[in-house]
Amino acid sequence: MSSSRILGAVLGASLSFALLTSGLALAAGSHGGGHGMHDMKIGKPGDPAKVSRTIEITMYDNYYEPESLDIKEGETIRFVVRNAGEFVHEFNIATAAMHEAHRPEMMMMMEHGVLEPDRINLEAAKAMQASMGHGMHNEANSVLLEPGKSGEIVWTFPKHADLEFACNVPGHYETGMHGKVKLSH
Amino acid sequence: MTIGLLRRASLLGAGLAAALSGAAAAGEYNLTVDRVPVDTGTFTRIGIGYNGATPGPVLRFKEGEDVTINVTNNLSEPTSIHWHGLILPFEQDGVPGISYDGIAPGETFTYRFPITQSGTYWFHSHSGFQEPDGAYGAIVIEPKKREPFRYDREYVVQLTDAHPHSGDRIMRNLKMMPDYYNRQQRTLFDFLKDSKEMGLDAALSERGAWGDMRMMPTDIEDLQGFTPLINGKSSAQNWTGLFTPGERVRLRFINSSAMTYFDIRIPGLKMTVVQADGNNVLPVPVDEFRIAVAETYDVLIQPTEDKAYSVFAESMGRTSSVRGTLATAEGMKGDVPDLRKPPLLTMADMGMAHEGMDHGSMNMSGSTHTMPDGSTMKGMDHSTMNMPGGTHTMPDGSTMKGMDHSTMNMPGGTHAMPDGSTMKGMDHSTMNMGSSDPFYAPGSGLMPAAANGGKFLSYNDLRTQKPLYPHREATREIELRLTGNMERYMWSINGIKYADAEPIRLQYGERVRFKFVNETMMTHPMHLHGMWSILDTGKGKWNPIKHVVSVAPGTTVFMETEVDAPGQWAFHCHLSYHADSGMFRKVIVEGGPEGKAAALPVKTEG
Repeated sequence: MSSSRILGAVLGASLSFALLTSGLALAAGSHGGGHGMHDMKIGKPGDPAKVSRTIEITMYDNYYEPESLDIKEGETIRFVVRNAGEFVHEFNIATAAMHEAHRPEMMMMMEHGVLEPDRINLEAAKAMQASMGHGMHNEANSVLLEPGKSGEIVWTFPKHADLEFACNVPGHYETGMHGKVKLSH
Repeated sequence: MTIGLLRRASLLGAGLAAALSGAAAAGEYNLTVDRVPVDTGTFTRIGIGYNGATPGPVLRFKEGEDVTINVTNNLSEPTSIHWHGLILPFEQDGVPGISYDGIAPGETFTYRFPITQSGTYWFHSHSGFQEPDGAYGAIVIEPKKREPFRYDREYVVQLTDAHPHSGDRIMRNLKMMPDYYNRQQRTLFDFLKDSKEMGLDAALSERGAWGDMRMMPTDIEDLQGFTPLINGKSSAQNWTGLFTPGERVRLRFINSSAMTYFDIRIPGLKMTVVQADGNNVLPVPVDEFRIAVAETYDVLIQPTEDKAYSVFAESMGRTSSVRGTLATAEGMKGDVPDLRKPPLLTMADMGMAHEGMDHGSMNMSGSTHTMPDGSTMKGMDHSTMNMPGGTHTMPDGSTMKGMDHSTMNMPGGTHAMPDGSTMKGMDHSTMNMGSSDPFYAPGSGLMPAAANGGKFLSYNDLRTQKPLYPHREATREIELRLTGNMERYMWSINGIKYADAEPIRLQYGERVRFKFVNETMMTHPMHLHGMWSILDTGKGKWNPIKHVVSVAPGTTVFMETEVDAPGQWAFHCHLSYHADSGMFRKVIVEGGPEGKAAALPVKTEG
């Protein structure tokens, strides 16, 4: 319980990197200068007071229910995301290119033992930060959840964008864990 | 005659199916074992197949169904079918002399067993050399629950190594002259070249060492001259699977070769490995993977362009290759890559580590060490694999200094960083370093590398999606030294061939840790029937669950087995000619719960 709260506070959104040594994240660029969430192309963090509706997202191994989303342009949505699977999953709203750029970062987290199949290893995260200078911070457009955990995102969608919601845990996107966001007038 | 039997069998099948309707899902299947023509485009011969063809049909089962399979032997010799990787009662396992008596000529034998698993498997004869002669087919089992991945279509991609000689003839030739089929003999010119490169003394002492082992550095495939096939088709015959751009396609790779390991890639496409030996694994995106004899790997691909992609499989020894095609229309062809340079076994593959030999005495300091990708490293000290002050390139282009490579042999262990901090479970296989795969001896000539410089799958990358058993300490360890005398083409376990060996006795309920020590220079795909082989990659409960564990030369590999299947089972190297010449054991599982213990035959020895 308390650990889940810490996770919620510290990691609640996606893990991302300021790769001070290698500059990978900066080079990746398409992750959206400063990690995308202020980029109007994909929308922006929403004002909870302006939420028009709540959409429940359930994450399984390795797929979502629902498998696609119909949203009105400019709409502000509260996503209540629950991980009903046995593995760590992410719910991340971005363009396909941004997801692609995000995947090597997630792969590196797995290689460093931060991302275990069914848990997020905070000790390893600290060790990684200490030894390699990789930092982690919140992202408003995504939530990374251990099995059984829930999280929320409030997101305001833009007028025009080609968006997907996706899980970039290594191998999950590639095996089909992503869906289209259909924006309508 | 074949047609008549088929008709009779299917009529019988229909009757039985009707009688059984209303019961739990029950499927009835009919197979005939026939002499069939084999046409590889380069040679034709008569081989053995099922329902009139080799490979035989793809048997599609459903998890939870009770299957009845009528096998009619149309050969003039006894036959058998083993359901490779399936968990079933031992009497249904299909090994003559261990599970049952086999199937006599003209006889129809009826197998009955429940399907308790899902995934990609295969079946083959376990009699003589019928399997290398073509007696194999694929099994696809649909799971009860939704798959943990999505795909729009699927193909079985069954690899085989058809040979112009019959299995019997090959075995006779190998016994007479073990290098009969090795076309890559080292020559006087190679020796002169070696002498020039490493000095006469080193070249002489290396030759001496190889001589002591009665082997040659080119002994990677002791059978050459075969034509690799995909689903029964050679490169020229070009097996083709169709797709619509953007579709996700599942490829079920099965290596039903008698002797050949393949390195598989699809130039232009990333593959995501989702299953190994029928069990789902946490998905691993790769550029290339090696498939041992008798293994299966399922991969997902997503071709987006309207073009032909080549599915390219090179034999591990680079003596041959086969391509198939994934295309948007029949008749399309993609580029076919050239065969890469054949690897040479190194001293590391001779297992000198077991002899306590200091590799430093190989006098290689200052010499050049060839890496699998063809690049070279100078002055590498094999005794410690330590590169003090050296720089190690990470996949992201950053560098690590003073890395101690000797610690790289600890899958899942902690890795000391220069600043004293530790990193757990770091995946070294992505580092693109020749010495990074703990399932090859450090400095091994067999260490694979992806053709495009990308990711080559390692056993170390496999994590089971669903642990089948709670993780626990093994109750005992059994050491199995993989041994052989290449000169006399004798293969054995612990120096004893099957004919002279006592069975391995296991007790129901124990968890046995098998320690394979490969003292030969060949790679051996070890296959235990009836029970799962949990490969120890240091991942604890995530260790992958397999039915074949490949053991490279000069390595020690551990696998654990929950002994939960009473009866008697075969346990052997899956290279046909190694199994036949003695690298084979009978395993007897004694005891078991009331009503579950096997009624073992009185005469169990022999």
